Amino acid sequence: MSVQVRGSGRRRRVGLRQRVVAGFACGAFVLSASLSILTYEMARSYLLGQRERSIIARTYASAGLVGHELLSPAPDIPRVISSLVLPAGSYPVLLHEGRWFAASLQVGRDDVPVEIADQASEGRAVRQIIRLREVPHLAVGVPLPAGEGVYIEVSSLEDLDRTLNVLRNALAVAAAVTILVGAGAGTWAGRRLLRPLSTAAQAAAAVESGRLDVRLNMTGDADLDKLAEAFNGMTSALAERIERDARFASAVSHELRSPLTTLATSVEVLRGRREDMPERAQAALDFLAADVRRFQRLVEDLLEMSRIQAGFAEVLMVPVRPQELVAHVLRSANTPDVPIAVDPSASNVLVTVDKRRMERAIVNLVENAQTHGGGILQMTIDADDTRVRLAVEDAGPGVAHDDRQRIFEPFVRGRAAGRRGRAEGTGLGLALVAEHVRLQGGRVWMEDRVEGGSRFVIELPVTVP
Amino acid sequence: MVMGAEILVVEDDERIRGALRLALEDEQYRVSEADCAEQALWVFGQRPPQLVLIDVMLPGLDGFDLCRSLRRSSDVPIIMVTARSDSHDVVAGLEAGADDYVTKPFVPKELSARIRALLRRVRAGDSPGETLRFGTLEIQPEAGIVRRRGQEVSLTKTEFRLLCELAAGNGRLLSREVLLDRVWGYDYFGDGRLVDVHVRRLRSKIEDEPGRPRHLVTVRGLGYKLKP
Repeated sequence: MSVQVRGSGRRRRVGLRQRVVAGFACGAFVLSASLSILTYEMARSYLLGQRERSIIARTYASAGLVGHELLSPAPDIPRVISSLVLPAGSYPVLLHEGRWFAASLQVGRDDVPVEIADQASEGRAVRQIIRLREVPHLAVGVPLPAGEGVYIEVSSLEDLDRTLNVLRNALAVAAAVTILVGAGAGTWAGRRLLRPLSTAAQAAAAVESGRLDVRLNMTGDADLDKLAEAFNGMTSALAERIERDARFASAVSHELRSPLTTLATSVEVLRGRREDMPERAQAALDFLAADVRRFQRLVEDLLEMSRIQAGFAEVLMVPVRPQELVAHVLRSANTPDVPIAVDPSASNVLVTVDKRRMERAIVNLVENAQTHGGGILQMTIDADDTRVRLAVEDAGPGVAHDDRQRIFEPFVRGRAAGRRGRAEGTGLGLALVAEHVRLQGGRVWMEDRVEGGSRFVIELPVTVP
Repeated sequence: MVMGAEILVVEDDERIRGALRLALEDEQYRVSEADCAEQALWVFGQRPPQLVLIDVMLPGLDGFDLCRSLRRSSDVPIIMVTARSDSHDVVAGLEAGADDYVTKPFVPKELSARIRALLRRVRAGDSPGETLRFGTLEIQPEAGIVRRRGQEVSLTKTEFRLLCELAAGNGRLLSREVLLDRVWGYDYFGDGRLVDVHVRRLRSKIEDEPGRPRHLVTVRGLGYKLKP
């Protein structure tokens, strides 16, 4: 049974933590951007309004002075305009009876928009922001009394522009900093938020590695405690089930071991008297002895497998020379004549193994080669800096590609290996090879032999002496 | 082989006991039987055997208890019959004083090989009647006597054989494999824990401070050596 956790299929790319960080950063961006824009606009309209009011007031005052002078019998217009006291960056321009007067070469009639002169001539005061040489200026036009002309003052807004620039930059920096702070807060919050989850993940990993006594602590947080409770319940149920299986296996083991011991011992007593028996009794005894042996192997293999699967296997690791190990295994497998090809790379390495498990694993591979692989050709040993490979090579028909993983599962036989022969194994041989090798930190696989036949390879980590 | 040596089989399963008697008698041993620890102690008191075979799973007092009881008064070789070779039973049995173990279901040949190895005579030294000295230790291989500061120490037969092999090494390193072969008659795949537990037991008898051994020292996980 598999339970699909909702939402796990989609959105796998973006983790919860990234989403929290992005959310915080976005929030900080929206907030700081709108605050900055609002602040800038308010500051701008306030400063500009204040400046406009003062410029307009001054323009009216200057227009008054100029108008007064024009009333005199012989007005000296250039002198009047030059004598106006204006702050730096402000330039007076006068239109009188169709003639233009200016006090400075900086600003003349060409710089003043036509509509200002037109509208002011019609008796209305006008103001407009214009750009002169890339610098914003405020132009204010005032009609002179009695329709004698138009007085215009053009004032530079450069200092105001510069102030607003500085303000804009400062606000942009502040906004950027706010976004970063937001993202930082998001990271922190995400970590806070996910800490119970990563604790749970660690606990789950511990359970996977066989520590069934791991429990999550209650935090007092209703949402999290629900998770912790479910996790703890699951672990307890799992531990209980494994313990029940183990008890069952151990009960079965005891029940099977005792009669098997009687059987094996009695068969041995009979075999000691084989020569005294009639021929037919001898034949029957041979069948009995062979199958008692096979039964014994099957029970041993089954118990070994159930122990490993229940996580009760103990591993006794000792450092050995692979070449020595293989030679001893071949002797105990009654195949001392099998050649061992040792690559120079492996002549001086050490591996740390459980000798009993390695013996079982290699003997099983040798028996597999003899039963299904048309006989063992040789064993090879080679190594690189980190790994040693021990391979059993045979000249058999090989195994179909699709079956190469499956043959290491319990009771799975390759398609070519269907026939039941005399030396047939227990159906657990290769599965136990895989388990024994895994318990020692290695792996096993089957591959084609270049010259034909197949190779079963055990790979183990090299021990640094 | 010691012909006619007597073996006490302590096993609660009647049929295993019967089959073992047949198999062992075929190998020229004499067999006495007990179906529980209490009976085994009584039989042992009546006529001490040369070797005891104990199943760890016994009703009442278990095999470990029986082993400890026997060890209080005897150096007789003891073989434990355990259910699993990779369990704590093995170490527990050895620490209770057993000399060796076999795992059920065993092949009878395996059991008789174990019995033969334990009943072998202690390997005699190079010259008869010699005394080997290691500091305050004094070993007489032929007489089967060990003295520490002049006081005789009581060792089991296997402990004594292990000590003699280490002494014969004369300060050289002896690997677990070599000791397993010489003392227990095991091949390459013998269980190194046999050596380790026996070394521990030996130290508690011959060392002044078993936690910081002076004579019987470990050599970097490779093996052991005996030095003065």
